[in-house]
Amino acid sequence: MRLVHLFVIGVLLAAAAYVYEIKFEATLQAERLAKLRSDIRRERDAIATLRAEWAKLSNPGRIQGLAQRHLALQPLEVIQFDTLDNLPARVPQANLPDVEDPIAAIIGRDPDLPTGSVTPAAGAAR
Amino acid sequence: MTANPVAATAAHGAAGLVGRLLYGANVDRAAKARARIGLAVVVFALIYGVIAARLVLYGMAADPATARRSTANDAVATARPDILDRNGEILATDVRTPSLFAEPRKIIDVDEAVELLTATLPDLDARELRERLSSRRGFIWLKREITPRQQADIHRLGIPGIGFLNENKRVYPNGAVVSHVIGHVNIDNQGTAGIEKWLDGRGLADLHLAGFAADRLQKPVELSLDLRVQHALRDELLAARERYKVKVAAAGLVTDVRTGEVVAMVSVPDYDPNDPRQALDETRLNRLTTGVFELGSTFKALTVAMALDSGKATLSSTFDAREPLRYGKFEINDYHAQRRILTLPDVFTYSSNIGIARMALGQGIEAHKAFLRKMGQLERLRTELPESAEPLVPKHWAELNTVTIAFGHGIAVAPLQAVMAVGALMNGGKLFPPTFLKRSEAEAAARAKTVIKPETSARMRYLMRLNAEKGSARRVDVPGYYVGGKTGTAEKVVNGHYSKTKLLTTFMAVLPADQPRYLVTIILDEPQPTPETKGFATSGWNAAPTAGRVVERIAPLLGLAPRFDLPAAERQILAVTSAIR
Repeated sequence: MRLVHLFVIGVLLAAAAYVYEIKFEATLQAERLAKLRSDIRRERDAIATLRAEWAKLSNPGRIQGLAQRHLALQPLEVIQFDTLDNLPARVPQANLPDVEDPIAAIIGRDPDLPTGSVTPAAGAAR
Repeated sequence: MTANPVAATAAHGAAGLVGRLLYGANVDRAAKARARIGLAVVVFALIYGVIAARLVLYGMAADPATARRSTANDAVATARPDILDRNGEILATDVRTPSLFAEPRKIIDVDEAVELLTATLPDLDARELRERLSSRRGFIWLKREITPRQQADIHRLGIPGIGFLNENKRVYPNGAVVSHVIGHVNIDNQGTAGIEKWLDGRGLADLHLAGFAADRLQKPVELSLDLRVQHALRDELLAARERYKVKVAAAGLVTDVRTGEVVAMVSVPDYDPNDPRQALDETRLNRLTTGVFELGSTFKALTVAMALDSGKATLSSTFDAREPLRYGKFEINDYHAQRRILTLPDVFTYSSNIGIARMALGQGIEAHKAFLRKMGQLERLRTELPESAEPLVPKHWAELNTVTIAFGHGIAVAPLQAVMAVGALMNGGKLFPPTFLKRSEAEAAARAKTVIKPETSARMRYLMRLNAEKGSARRVDVPGYYVGGKTGTAEKVVNGHYSKTKLLTTFMAVLPADQPRYLVTIILDEPQPTPETKGFATSGWNAAPTAGRVVERIAPLLGLAPRFDLPAAERQILAVTSAIR
């Protein structure tokens, strides 16, 4: 009977200690949670502020003003668009001689080779 | 002893047994002690059982106290969802700003508090502040939306009874560019106009009241607007206001004819939603939804479509425009008088009032009325925007009304309404209720109402394109985009009479005319003749070129590839539809 009493008291103490431990841990976790939540909230607010700032800085009116003031760019003309289909076929690779100015070398040596440019003489002959 | 002790025990019940064990003098003391201990064990076990069960319950339920702890100084003004354009650009968002409040009952030295506060916030009125702080109220706002810098300064002063609350402040990064569509909010973050008000009407206000909408975890609202197109349109309208000396206002609309989405809507003068007081100014109202106008010749498109759709007229029908049309003391005349018999395409491209009036008369009053009703021109058009206007329709619709309404006088509709109808004429005959929210083609198709035959629509597209090739809309013809269009010049009513000098010019451009995607509408309210327009102030000289400039700027943004060397309208549009003439 006494043994049982001692055992029960022991269990009681252990349980109390364990409960205290859990309680302590839980409080700690809850505080961490609250802190994380407020951190997340703060971060989210900061993100929102930055996004608003970015939207303000990148709004088309402002960009247009800056571009007009600082750049020499012009609005696109309709004729400046084209599709890839309209590109001319690739010219077969020419065997370029290994000199300083290969194109000049080709024009000088062989005027019949198919290139984009023609010499005045070749043009007149045609 | 009874013959049946078991039955006797059962009869006395468990209570009897316990009673006998505890109190009976004839019971063995040891047995009594055991029974008492046993009872104590049972009772304690029960109590601990209850405690354990309760603990489990506590463990399962979330702890509300810790979750709310961090929000004590937060969230007075309620959060609103972000508003995005169709590409995800921010049009409106919430930013958290501190606001300064006081609890006058807790303030010890009012004079000191006033002195310190006015030193930090010079725009506070000292006398008023003193009066308010001396009151016995529990809570007053001193200044809403202060800067973090000011907050730090005031915090350092350490005045008792003064505190800060973080509030959500609505910010519109694009300023005036989207003002009329998104509207604005008041100081308590409640929507008072535009989409903002619509959001509140959709249950957000109830959420706010219940205190659930304090955090910014709400789904953003995606509008159908394209910020870049919106800006381009506004930029061109502002330029047009200068160029054509527009006295009152300029407005423009870009709609997707395949879904009814409004891609851009601008009405200048507009206002900056960050400063909502500007919105009270009446000249800044949104003319496209809250104003009704006699739109003039753009309405002729509806009349022609009605005639073609009824089958009573075809593209080769002719109309006598040799003589002005007399109606009692009224005389219907042509602006570009031809004085000959015109075919239907001629009537449209020369914008002949006489021809169009004869066309409408051929349909009869009832058919005319029914058609306009079907096209949604006789009733108030409701969109997401809370602001709308009732069209002005004649109470007694006589023949003369049909004659004038045929060319857009005598009926005043909201421009957005007319755009909806013309969109249906272009897209194959489907009337989509316009929307400011992003909508897919499938969603749009579910709401569409077929109002005219697809062949009629093809003929209308042909007429619009023809008008840009050789009619009154020549100045809109941006090469590469196959634009079609219709001009409209309406004389404004001044003191009950049509004024010759106060004009409302409109232009509707459809691009590309063979496979329509977008409808661009330009409205100029009282443009003046300038040397550049050779002294004219009609639509073809100001609204049409403006529309041309807008098309040139927005087509690349909207992903329309230019196509060159397309054949004339007759072959490109009419030849592909089975029904030719």
